Amino acid sequence: MKSSIDWQIAMLTAVKPETPWVKSFTFSLPDWYRHKAGQHYDVRLTAEDGYQAQRSYSIASEPEREGEIDLTVERIKDGEVSTYFHDVLEPGDKVELRGPIGGYFVWEVGLLPEPLLLIAGGSGVVPLMAMLRHKAASHSKNPTHLLYSSRTFEDVIYFQELEKLNANGSGLKVFHTLTRGHPQGWKGFTRRLDAAMVQEVISPLGSGVQAFLCGPTRMVESAANALVELGLPAMQVRTERFGPSGPG
Amino acid sequence: MEEVALDLNHELMLDANAVAGTLFDIFGVEMTASPTECAHCGNEDDMGTLLAFTQGPGIVLRCSACGQVILRIVKTSDSVLLDARGAVYLRIMNPKPQPEGIPGENDSLGG
Repeated sequence: MKSSIDWQIAMLTAVKPETPWVKSFTFSLPDWYRHKAGQHYDVRLTAEDGYQAQRSYSIASEPEREGEIDLTVERIKDGEVSTYFHDVLEPGDKVELRGPIGGYFVWEVGLLPEPLLLIAGGSGVVPLMAMLRHKAASHSKNPTHLLYSSRTFEDVIYFQELEKLNANGSGLKVFHTLTRGHPQGWKGFTRRLDAAMVQEVISPLGSGVQAFLCGPTRMVESAANALVELGLPAMQVRTERFGPSGPG
Repeated sequence: MEEVALDLNHELMLDANAVAGTLFDIFGVEMTASPTECAHCGNEDDMGTLLAFTQGPGIVLRCSACGQVILRIVKTSDSVLLDARGAVYLRIMNPKPQPEGIPGENDSLGG
């Protein structure tokens, strides 16, 4: 009996540049399983001599989209797998994948419209985007604040789509912060994530907030500590750390 | 909020979520949403909350409350070595029958 943990051969059907260093890859899957927003796929590359490299990449697409998934991948300098994705793969190519995997860092639309706080650093926004797309596809009205830290404006992934979701009355409010320079007239935050910023973003949400944090380990540590200091029970804070730079 | 000072090991620290696939390989089911209890401090939480150190020859999972080692996993060419002395227990759910399986295929599971 096949299951989501079995490796399968998926076909790349589309590549969409998101930023100079980030692309979204659409894969068509022969054995598609409905995922939960926040889950990931393992990707395995095998060289001719049998050497294998394996990485985990978060699913960016909503579970409502059937038969295919989007993986949004940042090109990590000297990365073994992300460079292959960016520099070699073309639509029509086949890649070995397995998933969806992970049951902890997931969010599903439930009966209660619990407020959500999503905090992302860089490509840590990817699993949170799956949550936002799932929320939009299921017309959920959960009050949701996304605090998203990027280096510069051109590093912001999904900017246009976030703007649209921000304006469609679904209860989403997006807060950007740019840490290494910003365009003229920029209205968002312009500093590294700090406790005052986290407090400003979480305060209007009231109590019962479920928080999902994803990004570089250092950022996630800082933000999680800030939330617990603000009185959010640790049970309501879920983290996904991806090391200093994300999966290479 | 003070910037958290981290040594290299902690810079590379992940969550157990990152090794969900490996845990699935070993136990045959999704483990990160299953609870475990730390044998050192008694903290009881989902395995997904454990801190994962994956850069060494094996995988080390530590308690997010006290930082002590809960599981060590080393893969060799023909086996997996699992040191679980840091856990009071692990909860391993029965595998779910496939929801879209062929009718009758799971009859033997139903008893």
